[in-house]
Amino acid sequence: MDRTLVATVEDHRIALLAALAITIHIAESALPTPLPGIKPGLANIITIATLCLYGLRTAAWVLMLRVLAGSLLLGTFLSPTFALSFSGAVAALLVLSVARLTPGLGFGAVGYSLLAAMAHMAGQFTVAYWLFIPHPALLQLFPVLMTAAVLFGLVSGIIVATMLKHFR
Amino acid sequence: MRSSLLTRSDWLLLIASVALLPWLYGSFWGSTGGMGEEVHIMVDGRELPPISLSKDQTLTIQGSIGPSVLEVANHGIRFISSPCQGKQCIHSGWHTHAGEFAACLPNRVALLITGRESRYDTFNY
Amino acid sequence: MAADPATRYPGLDDGARPLRRPGRALPLLLVLLLFVGGCSREELHHTQLFSFGTLVDISLWGASSTQAEHAERIIQEELQTMHRAWHPWLPGPLTETNRRLQTGSWFDCPPELLPLIVEAKRLYELSDGLFNPAIGKLVALWGFHSDVPPQGPPPEPAAIQQLLNQHPGMDDIAIDGKRLRSRNPAVQLDLGAFAKGYAVDRIIGRLERMGIENAIINAGGDLRAIGRHGKRPWRIGIRNPRGPGVLASVELSGDESVFTSGDYERFYEYEGKRYHHIIDPRTGHPAAGVTSVTVIHDNAAEADAAATALFVAGPEGWYPVARRLGIKYVMLVDDKGGIHMNPAMAKRIRFETTDRPEIIYSKPL
Repeated sequence: MDRTLVATVEDHRIALLAALAITIHIAESALPTPLPGIKPGLANIITIATLCLYGLRTAAWVLMLRVLAGSLLLGTFLSPTFALSFSGAVAALLVLSVARLTPGLGFGAVGYSLLAAMAHMAGQFTVAYWLFIPHPALLQLFPVLMTAAVLFGLVSGIIVATMLKHFR
Repeated sequence: MRSSLLTRSDWLLLIASVALLPWLYGSFWGSTGGMGEEVHIMVDGRELPPISLSKDQTLTIQGSIGPSVLEVANHGIRFISSPCQGKQCIHSGWHTHAGEFAACLPNRVALLITGRESRYDTFNY
Repeated sequence: MAADPATRYPGLDDGARPLRRPGRALPLLLVLLLFVGGCSREELHHTQLFSFGTLVDISLWGASSTQAEHAERIIQEELQTMHRAWHPWLPGPLTETNRRLQTGSWFDCPPELLPLIVEAKRLYELSDGLFNPAIGKLVALWGFHSDVPPQGPPPEPAAIQQLLNQHPGMDDIAIDGKRLRSRNPAVQLDLGAFAKGYAVDRIIGRLERMGIENAIINAGGDLRAIGRHGKRPWRIGIRNPRGPGVLASVELSGDESVFTSGDYERFYEYEGKRYHHIIDPRTGHPAAGVTSVTVIHDNAAEADAAATALFVAGPEGWYPVARRLGIKYVMLVDDKGGIHMNPAMAKRIRFETTDRPEIIYSKPL
């Protein structure tokens, strides 16, 4: 059996976009954060732009590659940080799939970005609460984290929407 | 519509998300109580006017067998000294949460912390 | 309270303005208002009274102000009556009864004491004598018959042994109608592990007759709760037996009592050793191996006696005693900090500490 692996145009596209997302992700991880769990999540910009330009499949690849490769590069693979990041990504992907595949919802970049940011935060928080710190004091952080998610989701959504307008 | 950055659905989602936040604060901060805001001090069954926990001060309360000294600091309150024998009131340390209560029974001095909503209705010990 | 969230989140107004069809946002706003408006707490009446040598904490939900005031007066009266009747050393019905018990002859029991003694005898039998209010002499020997905690030293072993040899027990008390007699002159009643629960039951009974449906009566940390706190159950914080703060919480709705017996309630330290007030009737010494026992049960008097009996039974022996007493929820903290529970209790208890403690499960009760 002779098999050659041929990289398609889509593969190249995924690789390029994932590389971009990873770069943003790593750059952002160097920023100081006021509270654990609050990050602008600017890598979200790439995921949402990919979703709007190339569809759900490509966006899913880019997101999962970003989480996996990003954690390998940062040395957090399979650590608690990775578990949080991974669960957030899975939650975001699930919500994005539902939003994308349900007909007639009519979301734009901002809508997807908001949904992804909130799902990411909620998924991550749930795992943090059940797996790592099942302390009621942590629950009090949740509204604050969700406020940040809405804010950053909106900001990156507007960035994507502006970007896409220039593309068209 | 095409020139707008946000679609109509985006706007609706944004409003729903923003509206969700006060509800989140209400349910996660309200029900799990959180920090106390005021302390109600009772001396021999009489209740003194409530005292804010946000102003640091030291209070001396004349109880039924002598003075009890209370310290308010860092949004909490504790007994510093009391003329009782067991000194359990002092050992119980800082009290910060709404619904918490501490007392020096021999001196008949009790304090109850209240907040926006108490975390517990009462305590078993 | 209603204006609070709206003023704190000006984003709400910014978001609402550009909406072209306000009709769609209306349901959302209505839902929001419902949540914001739903947290009025005027319906809760909370008072504290000093009585029974302890602090009595009363919460009433959904009662009118007149009802609440009336209830408070009744509770105060009831507590004072019971305090006088059952006081272990101030002259009154209990001291009089104890004096007569020593004579060995029949006498008329004070009516306010008779039902307690009947009930105490029953619980004594059920607990195989681990709950034994007849050891008043031992309690007095250890010095716990006083308003101030004793200073030590602990009593002489010979004095303890001498009292143990006389085997005072509730089965020594004979009841004939309203009359009592003790076959054993060593019997002296100490209702400390029982009267509080009995008092709480009586007060709850009176509140129910007044038409109050939602209440907590908490007498020095031991409580019975009926009904609910509005839409949610009553929430009880269980204090950490070692150190400040709350160990766990439990929700109550319907009619349940939570009683804890702890070695920290009355104790003294002598030459670095701790001597507490829960005396094991088998050894004559403070019961060893346990820090606290918490029991959830419908009847407060039974819960009170059971908490003491299980404390005496210890980490190894509590299970069969709980079964015989018909107790369905038990948590025992041993002297090494280990937490013993039956599975049904574990389901109800929610730990509030940062580290989830290790739990030693028993068989189902």
